[in-house]
Amino acid sequence: MKIIKSMLVGASLALVASVSHAASSGNTLATVDPEADRLALQSYFQKRFPKVAVSDYVNGIYALDAPSREQWQEIEEFPPYEFDIEEGEELFNTAFANGKSYADCFANGGEGIRQNFPRWDEAQGQVVTLELAINQCRESNGEKALGWKKGKIAKISAYMASTSRDNVFDVQIPNDAAKAAYLDGKQSFYARRGQLNMSCASCHVAGANILIRADLPGPTLGHVTHFPVFRSKWGELGTLQRRYGGCQKNVRGTPQKTQGEKFRNLEFFQTYMSNGLVVNGPGARK
Amino acid sequence: MNKTISLVAALMMVSSSVAAQSFDDAFNAQRAMYGKGHSFTFEGQTYTTDHPEEVAAAVEANAENAAKLLAAAKDQHAQVVALDFDWTLTKKLLKASAKALAGGDFRKSMDISAQAQYHARMGMAQYHQSQKEWVMAVPE
Repeated sequence: MKIIKSMLVGASLALVASVSHAASSGNTLATVDPEADRLALQSYFQKRFPKVAVSDYVNGIYALDAPSREQWQEIEEFPPYEFDIEEGEELFNTAFANGKSYADCFANGGEGIRQNFPRWDEAQGQVVTLELAINQCRESNGEKALGWKKGKIAKISAYMASTSRDNVFDVQIPNDAAKAAYLDGKQSFYARRGQLNMSCASCHVAGANILIRADLPGPTLGHVTHFPVFRSKWGELGTLQRRYGGCQKNVRGTPQKTQGEKFRNLEFFQTYMSNGLVVNGPGARK
Repeated sequence: MNKTISLVAALMMVSSSVAAQSFDDAFNAQRAMYGKGHSFTFEGQTYTTDHPEEVAAAVEANAENAAKLLAAAKDQHAQVVALDFDWTLTKKLLKASAKALAGGDFRKSMDISAQAQYHARMGMAQYHQSQKEWVMAVPE
């Protein structure tokens, strides 16, 4: 009888453990808690890398791997994105055909505002990334939209990021519709896809600082702070969503649409995870 | 002491029942070891390591059957595209199958269609599985 009782207790404990995991995991609109998610993610990385200050995660893998950091610091002595910032500034200040400019579309004339993107736009009922806002600005002033992944849009975004350096990310989730977008982004981040059956988290949470062939994936904490980035592999500047598409291709999945709802929600979730960290874009990466 | 031992035993029973090999696990292990066309026994029954798509393709190689298989593969691919979970190789396989069909190489076309349809089916299964399981990867 005693044995049966103990077996029942054991089985109950196992059941309770699995249920409490599900209940606290925030996979529904009713249970999702962005701030708890952010703190849990920070805590996860602090436990794995106790010697690394949270503020250093803005440097990505270079916060975790000393030899890579050394190489990166040498690259940063003559930053490869320097000319892109200058070109971005010129593009930003060039007036549209109607005489207006980007400065007319953004708060504070577009200076020092990177940390507020992506943001939930109540009127549009969607997440608006900085690149989307740049193209919306163009179109509302009668200009053609720019390509999303590189070139002019990345340069303008890089210039805007450079004017925001050291400002603290402060993405807001003001209502349930925004929370639903956040939850969708969270699900995208953790859901496995592609023939290799991997999620963003496979490499950038569990796999952070663990070799994949010759590369060390960076931690997701602080991932977004240094975008757009000049990647040595690209030999040019690119946006965060260009990288998303590349990651999905790497796991042999067909990339989702750049600046489509899925990627914007993913960026919303990922940036919220880096709330409290500073803008340090544009950056240089391998 | 007895209580502790039986508690541990109970927990082990729970975990071992969860870890018991499913048919899918057995199939995948046999397929990985022996490839297609191999027979194996699971819970007293005999099965082969062929995917359903390969079974469907194991018919006479002719234009009609090849066209039918390609259409089925395209249909399954359209379903996984609608879920936004398609794999990169599938489109190329469909293209290669259509080329083989047009060139009169029906066997090749049918084999490639079977592969493409399998990819699409796996993409759909992955979608449904990831909808349920993504949350298990979230740090608590």
